[in-house]
Amino acid sequence: MLSNILSGCINALDGFLVSVEVDISAGMPSFSLVGLPEQEVKEAKDRVLAAIRNSGFDVPLKKITVNLAPAEVKKSGTHFDLPIALGILSASGQLSKEAQQKSAGIVFIGSLGLNGKIHACGGVLPMLICLKKAGHNLAIIPADNLNEAAYASTQAYGAVNLKQAVEYLEGKQELKPAGADALENAEDETLLGDFSEVKGQSLAKRALEIAAAGGHNVLLVGPPGTGKSMLAKRFAGILPPLTKEERLDILQIYSVCKLLGKNSKMPGRPFRDPHHTISNIALIGGGQTPKPGEVSLAHNGVLFLDEFAEFSRSSLEVLREPLETFKVTIARAKDSFTFPAKFTLIAAMNPCPCGYHGHKIKQCNCTPLQISRYKSKVSGPLLDRIDLTVNLNPVDYKDWNKKSEGETSAQIRQRVIAARQIQQERFKNSTTTANAFMSVAEIKEFCPLPQGGGEVLELAMKKLGLSARSLDKILKTARTIADLAGSKDIQKQHIIEVMQYRPFDRKGVSDI
Amino acid sequence: MQFTYEEKLAMLKINSFSFLRADWLGRLLDIFSSPCEILKQTPQVLSEEGKISLETAQKFLQTTSRLDAEQEMEQVAKVKGTIYFKGEDNYPKELLNIKEPPPVLYVRGTLPEVNTARVAMVGTRKITPYGRRAATRLGEDLALAGVILVSGLARGVDSVVHSCAVRNKKPTLALIGTGIGRCYPAENRELARGILDTGGAIISELPFNAPPLAPHFPRRNRLIAAFSQIAVVVEGEVKSGALITAKMALEQGLDVLAVPGPIDSPQSMGPNKLIKEGAGMALTAADIIDCIPLNLKVGLDTKKLYNEEKPPQQELTSLEQSVVNAIGSGSKSTDDLALALDMGVSEIAGLLFNLEVNGIITCEDGKYSRRKF
Repeated sequence: MLSNILSGCINALDGFLVSVEVDISAGMPSFSLVGLPEQEVKEAKDRVLAAIRNSGFDVPLKKITVNLAPAEVKKSGTHFDLPIALGILSASGQLSKEAQQKSAGIVFIGSLGLNGKIHACGGVLPMLICLKKAGHNLAIIPADNLNEAAYASTQAYGAVNLKQAVEYLEGKQELKPAGADALENAEDETLLGDFSEVKGQSLAKRALEIAAAGGHNVLLVGPPGTGKSMLAKRFAGILPPLTKEERLDILQIYSVCKLLGKNSKMPGRPFRDPHHTISNIALIGGGQTPKPGEVSLAHNGVLFLDEFAEFSRSSLEVLREPLETFKVTIARAKDSFTFPAKFTLIAAMNPCPCGYHGHKIKQCNCTPLQISRYKSKVSGPLLDRIDLTVNLNPVDYKDWNKKSEGETSAQIRQRVIAARQIQQERFKNSTTTANAFMSVAEIKEFCPLPQGGGEVLELAMKKLGLSARSLDKILKTARTIADLAGSKDIQKQHIIEVMQYRPFDRKGVSDI
Repeated sequence: MQFTYEEKLAMLKINSFSFLRADWLGRLLDIFSSPCEILKQTPQVLSEEGKISLETAQKFLQTTSRLDAEQEMEQVAKVKGTIYFKGEDNYPKELLNIKEPPPVLYVRGTLPEVNTARVAMVGTRKITPYGRRAATRLGEDLALAGVILVSGLARGVDSVVHSCAVRNKKPTLALIGTGIGRCYPAENRELARGILDTGGAIISELPFNAPPLAPHFPRRNRLIAAFSQIAVVVEGEVKSGALITAKMALEQGLDVLAVPGPIDSPQSMGPNKLIKEGAGMALTAADIIDCIPLNLKVGLDTKKLYNEEKPPQQELTSLEQSVVNAIGSGSKSTDDLALALDMGVSEIAGLLFNLEVNGIITCEDGKYSRRKF
């Protein structure tokens, strides 16, 4: 007997339909699985047969052949267990006619335990979204994945075990639909402190406000203990709330990485801070079965790279692609996979290997060569993608004591939201979402030089040695400062303010 | 006296032995009629006649045989350099009086006339904004007055000193710690070209391609002193190359001056200590020129230096003036200034920008300091 059960599979974030075909014929009892299964799919055999037996059904002592069509695409994931089990039951006549008919229009996703229990698996949300686009609206998924499935706006039902799924098909039991318990909104919990807790450092705070308002990348340079990490951790708290589309993107990536468990809450703005020993693959994504890396997990959020200069040079180099194109493409001989990676980079580093170069009190022990070598680790193309650079200095006790009441994150966030609204209006006919992502044409359209602005730039180039290629970035940043000020056009003082955040642009001061 | 081509080659080879003591060479040259003879001897003879250990003699012969002297001559010719040999008539007279005159001197560019006023200005590689200001101010004034500045082409103070001369199209001498075929540090390549273009010279006693090794630098310091009449220490820690130069200068009978600095700045500890021990204070270029021997002062243009007339000050607004006052003599970050003046960081940005493009202040690593007093 032959049966055909529908399931899905996922490549990067793209789901596609898979037909699980089961044929049972006379012959020596055997089980073969074809259709380019990866190791974890091959192991389905043992799980499925035990689950069938332990759920009170019979394993047919015949020759069982399972094919996963389309057979030329590699399949990975343990979620084929449930459709294979149902296929065997159907092909061996253990399902009624009605149940077989009913199963024809349903997509089954689920991994089985030996006792027949259906376990949660990764990638359910993007799979359901893609299958819905392909016209498959009805799905049975692990009950533990129900909360994320609510965001796919499709009809999904959660089954706890194999037996329950069969009884549903037989019409003996109803299943719990998705949407009943969507993820609880827990955005506020992801906040890691408030800006008012950071004493002094008003220049850095202002830079982060500009970065939040326009999506600009920031580099914080300063000795240990000046509050670099403290500021970066609070940055997510001044970003505007997620839009619906942004949230759905984040949920899909989290789903693939199995970060959405039964009890997990709705994620807020992602804040990822990988350690500097991270491998390239972990940072950018990839692996045998391509998985999103930290840059994609930080999509629509913040990627914080502390000790920026300590990252291996190759890890820093791989960051260039996502910083430029806002996505990561992993190319393989047969396929290529794309993950979104549009994040705000906050990089923090010491000014020299020992950390105390330019410190008010402590003496730096590094040689000039060591310092310039340390700085040059992040020079060039990577620095080109950073709009704002701030040098932080230790805060005196006096200031620390005096300026105890700074602005709260909520106050800053209000200004950021207002600036983002202006940008939304500006980019309503474009795919650009914030000033930092403007194309050259858009810079020309939206960032006209104000009266006297040309002179400012000329002076800066002539006297400070600003390079021509930083001009675009200066204009983009000035646009954001103007938005924060509620000014329709960029004004001279906005451009001047940007100069504060470009200390690395200045030519060597040795030839005054 | 004039060496033959073969003798020149032999001298180049002998010079490549870096442990060579000059008294040694004199002794050997006295015994053997020509440098070629020296290289033909067996180690035993050399050790006996020259009163050196057999080991050193062996090492000497090994090292000297390794240098391709003909190639050396070609390379120097290619960069239009000159090689001066001790014993020949054109060998710089300044070097004859020092304790260990180099047997061979490699020069790119042109050596200045004998009777010219020359001042060595040396200091730390880890220059502070104060040191930069001081070196620029003194260096510019000296160069404009016609004094030839002598330094070591290293990072920091040396580079500032040379660029003072180059910017004003005045000759300057760079005594380097590598062969003249190299530029160390590489970032000074542009400056080195400037030195040659403005009629200065790059000088070394080391073989053409000698690498920058640590022992080379203290030795070249004696040459810095040898080519100057006055030595000025701008900045340097108590144990530093700058102080070695000062010591060599004292040994060679030069006047040593130092630029006083803050008592809590490690880079000013060296010059402050020198002043405490009796060195003259270099507060203005005139202080330095006062020490130059009278006969050398003749050609100098010192009128401006002794005139009290100051260049016209730029008009600053009261706000700008308050920023400049707040910066004082140290360096301040934007945050410090905003706090001191009770202004927002975006308000102060405009003031800082104006001051910076007008050349009143300068920004390094996000900190502002005065450019000139």
